[in-house]
Amino acid sequence: MSKKFKITICSGTACYVLGGAQLMMLEDLMPAEFRDQVEIVGSACLQACRQGGSGQPPFVKINDYLMESASIAKIVDYLRKH
Amino acid sequence: MTYINNAALIKRQLMVRLAKMMFAGTLGTQVDYIPLQQAPRESASVRCCIHHDRAVLRYRLMALLGFAVENEKPEDEIRTLASYVAEVEQKGADRLDDKILTVIDEACSSCVRANYRVTNACRGCVARQCIMNCPKNAIHIENGHAVIDEKICVSCGICAKACPYHSIIYQPIPCEEACPVNAIKQDERGKEKIDESKCIHCGRCQQACPFGAVMERSEIFDVLRMVLNPACKTIAMIAPAIVGQFNTELGKVVTALKKLGFDHVVEVAYGADLTAEKETAEFVERVEHGSVCMTSSCCPAYVEAVNKHISNIKPLVSDTPSPMRLTGEWAGQKWPGAKRIFIGPCVAKRAEARASEHVENVLTFEELGSILVAAGVDVLECEETTPDQVATATGRKFAISGGVAGAVIAAASGRGVKADEKLFNGLDKKAFATLKVVDKVIKNTTFIEVMTCEGGCLHGPGVISNPVVARRFLEKMLKEHP
Ligand code: FES
Repeated sequence: MSKKFKITICSGTACYVLGGAQLMMLEDLMPAEFRDQVEIVGSACLQACRQGGSGQPPFVKINDYLMESASIAKIVDYLRKH
Repeated sequence: MTYINNAALIKRQLMVRLAKMMFAGTLGTQVDYIPLQQAPRESASVRCCIHHDRAVLRYRLMALLGFAVENEKPEDEIRTLASYVAEVEQKGADRLDDKILTVIDEACSSCVRANYRVTNACRGCVARQCIMNCPKNAIHIENGHAVIDEKICVSCGICAKACPYHSIIYQPIPCEEACPVNAIKQDERGKEKIDESKCIHCGRCQQACPFGAVMERSEIFDVLRMVLNPACKTIAMIAPAIVGQFNTELGKVVTALKKLGFDHVVEVAYGADLTAEKETAEFVERVEHGSVCMTSSCCPAYVEAVNKHISNIKPLVSDTPSPMRLTGEWAGQKWPGAKRIFIGPCVAKRAEARASEHVENVLTFEELGSILVAAGVDVLECEETTPDQVATATGRKFAISGGVAGAVIAAASGRGVKADEKLFNGLDKKAFATLKVVDKVIKNTTFIEVMTCEGGCLHGPGVISNPVVARRFLEKMLKEHP
């Protein structure tokens, strides 16, 4: 069965250095209510940092939605709302 | 646990902007635009207004250019950043005097001196234990709530213990609370000042300050200038804690460093191998001459702490040079004339490097990361290459608490000396008290390892990766290359 949310965390260098490193803890800090709804994968540069206009790193993709300036709080908040 | 914080991210964003301009060769003419780019007109301000934000950003850039903000004279306030760039170009390393950390007066929020505060949970009760028990008469009732007069309060904490509602909280000054040696204190205006005669450069105040008011004096400019100059040969000496800093294999980081322009890359863990060997020989010899214990010497903040605060145990500290120094010495012989840049997680290494003839400059991992971002070098996309000098698992373990002691004790046992280990995993006030009398409390032959950062170098102030993540990479590497 596929999960409701596929979260792709960019660990390309721009994202990783500018705040993405902390997102590696997402799995450990995920609230229990979402545990079996999410699949978390790492990824090389999503290319968002190389195109202007996508916002600031770190970038995270939740299904097809590209989140800029991502943080654990922002991700969890997004999951709550969807 | 280290938490991600916005002040650290702003610093990295500024480092990226600064390094980008250096790569483009426009720093001298464009640097004064950085505060405007970082805090543009329409953006929401963090402080009272964007002008204050920009003023603080300007000071951050001064620190990133290597200046001590405290040295600014009143008339310097109108100086442009471009004039500071010109000064760096002219003075070079001469601008870096003894201060390693600098406090941005303008960013310091002059935290409330009194450590206790009445919260709105106060019910203005009849018992009023807080008032009745305050030895300084510092509490009175205002609008039905207890209020502490911060000018009178001596932070004894009796009121907090006495309050039946637990409505009085302890609220420390973060930098002062973090400092293990009371080196950072408020001046008459409530602004924090670092006392260089006490500071051991552990970097905790920098991590602790919620306003990002404490900064390192960066050597990014000096390093990039060397790296960008094809006539200047450079050696990146990467500390053992680099494993896992970019969420990938070490070999890729090596390639990334070469892409940046470093001519050679060596693992300082190789120097750690040498340190382990020499330190064991020293330990065995000391034991044979009747000593019961010896302490490690690779953590520069600890060595500084001994020099400045517990000099009575100086004779117990190993004389063996640190991995950084041994690596530097070795690299200097192998590539004479090349500039040696130590890249690590540590603030205190800056002081050690300045005092050593074997290392020219120091970068932290977060500085390296920011430079890579500015250069557009993505570590994950690099191929793997082997460093010009590799190390063994023994040296690589120096990055974590227990690594040094483990190495020395195992090797000493091979030479017939059985020893216990004692780890000081994190230098706090309690550790200080024990260390001061350590030779009196130790009975059996013991090797003592002291790491100022709890957990070891992977937890240093200059790291990028969460130590939990970095540790997974290190363990994987140790397993694959035992
Ligand atoms: S590094 Fe994350 S989008 Fe490029």
